[in-house]
Amino acid sequence: MGEIFRRIRYLISRRRFDAELENDMEFHREMAARAGRSNFGNTLRMREQAREAWGWTWLDRLGQDLSYAGRTLARSPGFTVTAVLVLAIGIGVNVAAFSLFNMVALEPLPVRDPGSLVRLERRAPQDYTSEMPYLSAVFYEQHAKSLKAMIAVLGVPPMQMDDDLQGTSASFATANYFSELGTPAAVGRLFDPARESQATAPPVVVLSYALWQHRFNGDPGVVGRTVRLNRKPATVIGVTPYEFASLGGQTPDLWMPIVQQPYFVTGSTVLTDPAASSVRMWGRLAPGVTVKLAAQELKTLTNELRRQHPKDIWEDEYIDIHPGGHLQVMQPEMYQVAAMVALLTMLILAVACANLGGLLLARAVTREREMGIRMAIGATRARIFRQLATESVVLALLGATAGLGLSWLGLRIVLTQFHAQGWLSAKPDWRVLVFTFGMAMAAAVFFGFAPALQIARQRHRKTMVRQVLIAAQVAASCVLLIVAGLLVRATLHVLYTDPGFAYEQLLSVDAQLAQHNYSPAAAQTYLDAMQERLRALPGVKSVSLVKLPPIGHTVSRMDEELNGRRLPIYPNWVTPGLFETMGIPVHLGRTFYAGEKNAVIVSEAMARREWPGKNPIGQQLQNGDAKDTVVGVAGDAHVNAVNDDDAVEQYWPAQQADMPEMVVMVRTAGEPDSLPPMIKGISESIDAKLFPEIRQMKVLYHDNILELIENIAKAVTLTGLVAVLLAAVGLIGLVSFSVSQRIKEIAIRMALGAGRVQLLTAVLRQFVWPVAIGMAVGAGIAGAASRVLRIALFGVSNLDPASYATAILVLLAIVGIAALLPARRALRLDLAKTLHYD
Amino acid sequence: MPSGTLPMLILRVLQSGSLHGYALAQRIHVLSSEVLAVEEGLLYPTLQKMLVKGWVTAEWGISETSRKVRFYRLTPEGRKHLKAELSEYDRVTQAIQNILRTA
Repeated sequence: MGEIFRRIRYLISRRRFDAELENDMEFHREMAARAGRSNFGNTLRMREQAREAWGWTWLDRLGQDLSYAGRTLARSPGFTVTAVLVLAIGIGVNVAAFSLFNMVALEPLPVRDPGSLVRLERRAPQDYTSEMPYLSAVFYEQHAKSLKAMIAVLGVPPMQMDDDLQGTSASFATANYFSELGTPAAVGRLFDPARESQATAPPVVVLSYALWQHRFNGDPGVVGRTVRLNRKPATVIGVTPYEFASLGGQTPDLWMPIVQQPYFVTGSTVLTDPAASSVRMWGRLAPGVTVKLAAQELKTLTNELRRQHPKDIWEDEYIDIHPGGHLQVMQPEMYQVAAMVALLTMLILAVACANLGGLLLARAVTREREMGIRMAIGATRARIFRQLATESVVLALLGATAGLGLSWLGLRIVLTQFHAQGWLSAKPDWRVLVFTFGMAMAAAVFFGFAPALQIARQRHRKTMVRQVLIAAQVAASCVLLIVAGLLVRATLHVLYTDPGFAYEQLLSVDAQLAQHNYSPAAAQTYLDAMQERLRALPGVKSVSLVKLPPIGHTVSRMDEELNGRRLPIYPNWVTPGLFETMGIPVHLGRTFYAGEKNAVIVSEAMARREWPGKNPIGQQLQNGDAKDTVVGVAGDAHVNAVNDDDAVEQYWPAQQADMPEMVVMVRTAGEPDSLPPMIKGISESIDAKLFPEIRQMKVLYHDNILELIENIAKAVTLTGLVAVLLAAVGLIGLVSFSVSQRIKEIAIRMALGAGRVQLLTAVLRQFVWPVAIGMAVGAGIAGAASRVLRIALFGVSNLDPASYATAILVLLAIVGIAALLPARRALRLDLAKTLHYD
Repeated sequence: MPSGTLPMLILRVLQSGSLHGYALAQRIHVLSSEVLAVEEGLLYPTLQKMLVKGWVTAEWGISETSRKVRFYRLTPEGRKHLKAELSEYDRVTQAIQNILRTA
């Protein structure tokens, strides 16, 4: 113990200690000289040895290495700048990806005590839903001792504010929402659990900061004003702050207390229906309670609930608890995507490192003299290795800092582009900084150590390491290009493939009759009137009803297995005119008669799978206790699953009982843009209580599907090209270097009469194998790893030969140019000058 | 001299009083009847190591030639270590002698 203190004391007052030692030794010499003996020894060396006893020599050496590294890097600015740039790209991309992941999954929300927030979802062996009935949430709140508080959020379609044409996004939440999260109000006040828990309290609404700025120009006088939402008056009590962090990443413009929901949506039974799974539930764990404990208690409560309402709770249902204090509750599939992205960014870093490693090896030849001198005056190989490693670390740290800057810039752009929530910032937090440092060290090891080892052992002229580096770069670039190719192909596929229904001129009109608790008869009346009036409008070609509209809020799917392959069936209930309205061709048979029973229409793909080679018309399908007869075969129309290639559809005729859930589909002759206000007017005149949600299919299609895949494809292609360019630059460097090394040999060959092709072969032969192996390895990795991408590929196979071929050809072209460009220099040699040059 | 014995010798010599570096070397040389000679290059590194370990401390004093120089003194830990070293040395020497005598 005392030893450590003594060592540290030495470190602090080094100069004094060293001076004292010097004094001692000088005195010793004086005395020895007096006695006639003169000690010839290297004083400096002896002092150094004496100093070593204190154990801080490594610190001294580190300082020396650092300053030497700095000087060496400063002496060759071209190399340093290139190296830092290459590293900045490689590390920056990784840091950016990690920052995004950090923002989404690791960083806790800036709310009160995020560690104790949990998200609760219903789960059973065969079923899963992220929402639960309000009554269940209340039940759990009242009986669960492991939960200190319960928060429920009910998302609703956009509501009409005052006399707007466009709806405003809205959400209902329990009265404790803002107080539990600790959100301060920007103006006015937010929900108060004491005041907003009564259904009979005066109706209030909280505005979002964005809405307050856009619509009310940031006027603080908005507090106390009355606005009409779906024609019901409500008082504005306050505004959420700019940095508001909501649970689950939702950013509605209007917040209302959940107990007042029946006021705004007349006839709604959402709060009292034990079967309506509609609210998202969060909870706060009681102090000292773990997630496991809470899960056990909830399971007991779920069983109790099942006893009370056996029909509404699934068998073996349990409540799935996750930590809820992050922006996104991570599902397992998301981790897969995150892993894939991580792999891709690592590949870019690998290319950058291999590139740099090659550069370092090339530089080593120019530093041979320096190394030779150092070894001659006594540096051990270990010492030289250490010094070169320090150089690599300095480069890596410089590159990492630049990369951090690039990543920050990129994130800022991304955040503004996507109008992210106000509290998300591009500033790196400690996790990102630690990650960046770790990446820098890893990069230093990857690009620096192998060359350093080689140089220290003076074996850097051997080409093996260089070839491995080239192979690695080619492999990594190959993977990136192939993945980029697949995504581009998928984009084209989506852009130019007919989804099977005419979305360009299609509108859906959803009046949410079920939410307003309309009876089937009342729903039928409304829908009949709507259809009739809409058909009379000029520009409307066809109107009919469907239960699950395309790109709708609900998706239903039945998974079956047929002959070993999965068969996802997307069911739907329709009126006879739907196929005409949505532009789905009926190839065989006919469409339904109105109100027909025990009839079914299947899609082509389904007919082919169920009855290969036979006539599908007249076949029978089991439906519970009854049998349905196939009356028609429709074209494939991936109405609800645009990116699932295996999907098949099955249609049943809508019966009166289905009416409250039906949605009106309208097909227009021209552009549907002018129709929404007219449709609204018609609906109002038929029934003023309803506020139908009118959506244009082409807008939805573009926003939800096209834009996303386009952006992803662009991003990946960009990174693929960057990687290939890096590899190309590296290859150019190495080939020119190789040429310059062998210039004499080439000149002699030329003098002896070698032809161009022979010369080129001689120079390039050493690169053929690494490139070939690199491509093979890269293609293999891409093939194996791209299975994960299937979800994003929209029906393009992950082994799509066209993409692979294109990627490999592009890579070959770039590699070919990179290799030939400097090699051509060899052919233009001035023989005489070269052979005399020494 | 056998490696590793110098610290023990220094500690023993310092037991009878503190000395400066040169005197230490001289004393060892004289007491061993000029058999053992301690070079500067060995003495000072050893002394530094002993300072780190805390077996000796250094304090300023005036030499016989009226020069300011550091005198090394034994510490209690040093005394303890000396005792341990001496008994260990005896043990090992006995063992070696046993072998040489009889084997």
